[in-house]
Amino acid sequence: MSEDETYALEPQRWVEKHGDYLFNYAIVRVNDPEKAADLVQETFLAGLKAKDNFKGLSTERTWLISILKRKIIDTYRKQYASRESSLEDFEQEITDGDFYRTEDPFRGHWLEGSGPHSHSLMPEGELEQGELMQIIQWCISNLPPNLASAFIMKMIDEATSEEVCKELEITTSNLWVMLHRARLKMRKCVETKWLR
Amino acid sequence: MFRKMKNHMMVFMSRRMIACDEASFLISYKEENKLGFKKWWQLKMHLLSCHLCVKYAKQIQQLNHMVLNYRDACNSSACHHHLPTEAGKKIQKVISRELHAK
Repeated sequence: MSEDETYALEPQRWVEKHGDYLFNYAIVRVNDPEKAADLVQETFLAGLKAKDNFKGLSTERTWLISILKRKIIDTYRKQYASRESSLEDFEQEITDGDFYRTEDPFRGHWLEGSGPHSHSLMPEGELEQGELMQIIQWCISNLPPNLASAFIMKMIDEATSEEVCKELEITTSNLWVMLHRARLKMRKCVETKWLR
Repeated sequence: MFRKMKNHMMVFMSRRMIACDEASFLISYKEENKLGFKKWWQLKMHLLSCHLCVKYAKQIQQLNHMVLNYRDACNSSACHHHLPTEAGKKIQKVISRELHAK
């Protein structure tokens, strides 16, 4: 690559050129407009500090996104650290009193209203794309923060299980239980939304 | 050898049936992992007798599909989230200040 083919940084135009893009990227992953705007600002500031490290081998946007990604993972970790005690709950059981019956002889059966009702999660007829997007986003934002971060990393960012476990400092069995719980809640949320 | 296989089958068949909590966990677990024979069999047996978990499995597939759609739409910026104007102005100010401080 010759020298004039490398990319340059134009911090003065970052907000104009990448503000929306970074904000969109962040809000999908943290589900909170204020938090997302803060992350965009932190990313730009970190970018300014590190701008001498920018080699110009990737585009400005790719470089900024890589900074933002680290910031988002840091947010997940903080959410995690603040809920350390609840980690132990995950170790123990997949059974969750919110979803399954806990009394014998029906222990482990679906609790009424928590299991599936309708045959399909999809509405009849044409799928309204916009509405679907809103519902998925709304349901993700209603997940407890720690379940949401595992679910988003796995499903939206398509991280490998090893990556998710390493970033969140959890074991793989924690992860499977968390994904299971996230899916239980997401399924119920989506179904309730359509039936409404 | 046949006797050995038969014994194994008997052991598997006589395993306790799992309830909906374990079955739904396995349905989710199966998304990222391959089930061992024992778990696979337990789930299979459960699904034969539980219409709710059959529905659940189908709905989890649909949920995955929806989330993937959502992801693709958002990756292509079709989500239309714009940085709020006020926040943009504030960030621009912070950047300018930082640039001039140097």
